Amino acid sequence: MMFPLYAGEVFGYEAGLVVGVLVGIAFGFVLERSGFGQAPVLAAQFYASDNRVLKVMFTAIVTALLGMTVLAGVGLLDLSALQVPDSVLIAQVVGGLLLGVGFIVSGYCPGTSVVAAASGNIDGWITILGVSVGGLVFGVFYPYVDGLYDMGQLGVLRFPDLLGIPQAILAAGVTAMAIGAFLFAEWGERVLGAKRGEEPPVSEPARRNRVFVGFGVATALGLATLALPASAPASATAAWSPIPALDLARALVESPESVSLVDARDPSACAAARIPGAACLPAGDDGAALLAGLPPTRTLVLYGAGDLATLPDGAARFGGEIRVLAGGFPAFQAAVLAKPDAPGENATPAALRDYALRTALFNHFTGAKVQVQAPVPAARPVERAAKKGGGC
Amino acid sequence: MNAPRPFWNPYVGGVVLGLVLLGSFLVMGNGLGASGATTRVGIGIAHTIAPEAVEGNAYFAPYVGPGKNVLDDWLVFEVLGVFLGGAIGAYSAGRMRRGVTMGPRMTSVGKRLAFAFVGGVLMGIAARFGRGCTSGQALTGGSLLSVGSWVFMMMVFAGGYLFAPLVRRQWR
Repeated sequence: MMFPLYAGEVFGYEAGLVVGVLVGIAFGFVLERSGFGQAPVLAAQFYASDNRVLKVMFTAIVTALLGMTVLAGVGLLDLSALQVPDSVLIAQVVGGLLLGVGFIVSGYCPGTSVVAAASGNIDGWITILGVSVGGLVFGVFYPYVDGLYDMGQLGVLRFPDLLGIPQAILAAGVTAMAIGAFLFAEWGERVLGAKRGEEPPVSEPARRNRVFVGFGVATALGLATLALPASAPASATAAWSPIPALDLARALVESPESVSLVDARDPSACAAARIPGAACLPAGDDGAALLAGLPPTRTLVLYGAGDLATLPDGAARFGGEIRVLAGGFPAFQAAVLAKPDAPGENATPAALRDYALRTALFNHFTGAKVQVQAPVPAARPVERAAKKGGGC
Repeated sequence: MNAPRPFWNPYVGGVVLGLVLLGSFLVMGNGLGASGATTRVGIGIAHTIAPEAVEGNAYFAPYVGPGKNVLDDWLVFEVLGVFLGGAIGAYSAGRMRRGVTMGPRMTSVGKRLAFAFVGGVLMGIAARFGRGCTSGQALTGGSLLSVGSWVFMMMVFAGGYLFAPLVRRQWR
């Protein structure tokens, strides 16, 4: 595995910020050149006269998706080390509808409003102002809508895990769907243009077809990687060993990319409170498919409301090492999420070391700042993943 | 004055945008975003005006906790880049111009700006519920095949198409 570089600790946080500015410059430049700094261009999408937003967005999604699928297929990219936004279905239905309304009212989305402002458009600046005011409005009313905010919480959930279908096959499906949508959109532009007596947007079939051919080649490459030998054969019966709460906490801090943490309690209990970074196990076949589809290169750590009597369905089809948190969620709460008692004056060096470790872990997982002279392990990815509010 | 350069072919623009997104994943392990940074700037400004109120708010508290700078975040730097990149793109294409973009039948600048503000507020709220916007959820999560991102993306289009007839006069 070579990518992503950041998870491999090739560079630090500050260098990452410089990369962020560079990535942003490229992002902003492409958005501007695609016409997204001008509200009427974006709004045209919703009157079906020019589906530029759909074309640019879906082409970008397919391009990145196929790139990741091929690189992961040949073992250069660890998909499980990528930050995936949480799925919170009901909240996202509400948020999506509301964002769509805001989009057609303002003429921008939050990202394109920045490009518009940079191009000198006052309406872009005003939209930015509105978005930041909207964030504050949300915060003020958060105590009244926090139930809705967490409604449909599923944690990180990707279609390959949900459906138990390999990424390359899904990527091929998405690509076919996108090409179908593009052809339909262009047909609609021509028909509506004729009906309204407007000139449809310039179509450049040669360029479009070259992009489609590229998609076809990348899709085929992705599917071809499925024929590569699988890394580890799944054992018929899953063997597992217990892991103490402190060892798990340490592993989560020091090498979060080596662990897949799954909460096997009742999904509602998991939605209410879980170990930071854990995914909730859906009930029934969905859960079994999720477990079976986890990358075997990582250790699967399961936990229940106490010691797990039996492993959940699907664990037997998981190809890698399985460990079960000793004592379950309460043990982790007691060991890590509760503030450790300061040792007495005559504490042994071993007790002091234990206290230092517990304090560091407590601070890390709760965000508290209990001061102690101890080497605090730094693990930026975990902190970022645990942050509230999403990546956008 | 020369006419501005035409926009890129949308499929070509999409491929380049996809490569930028892919590059972000390969280097940083995360994708692109926008609304999170705008929200953070808002929280930062509110925090300097009314520190107690912001720190006492259940949603804002994690952003402004002790020892934390609400602007010390990868997304803030990325969006700073978006602004710079947008300015470079507009300037080099001959599109850098102070003005207000609006539909052909919209005659009142004040009305257009009011729409821009109200739409922005709605999106600011929506992006909190959605855990991101068109960049962080739809584009980034979409390419990661995240279930919630696809639901969100479909709903953005649904919301836009459903509401578009009501504001038709603004754009058409």
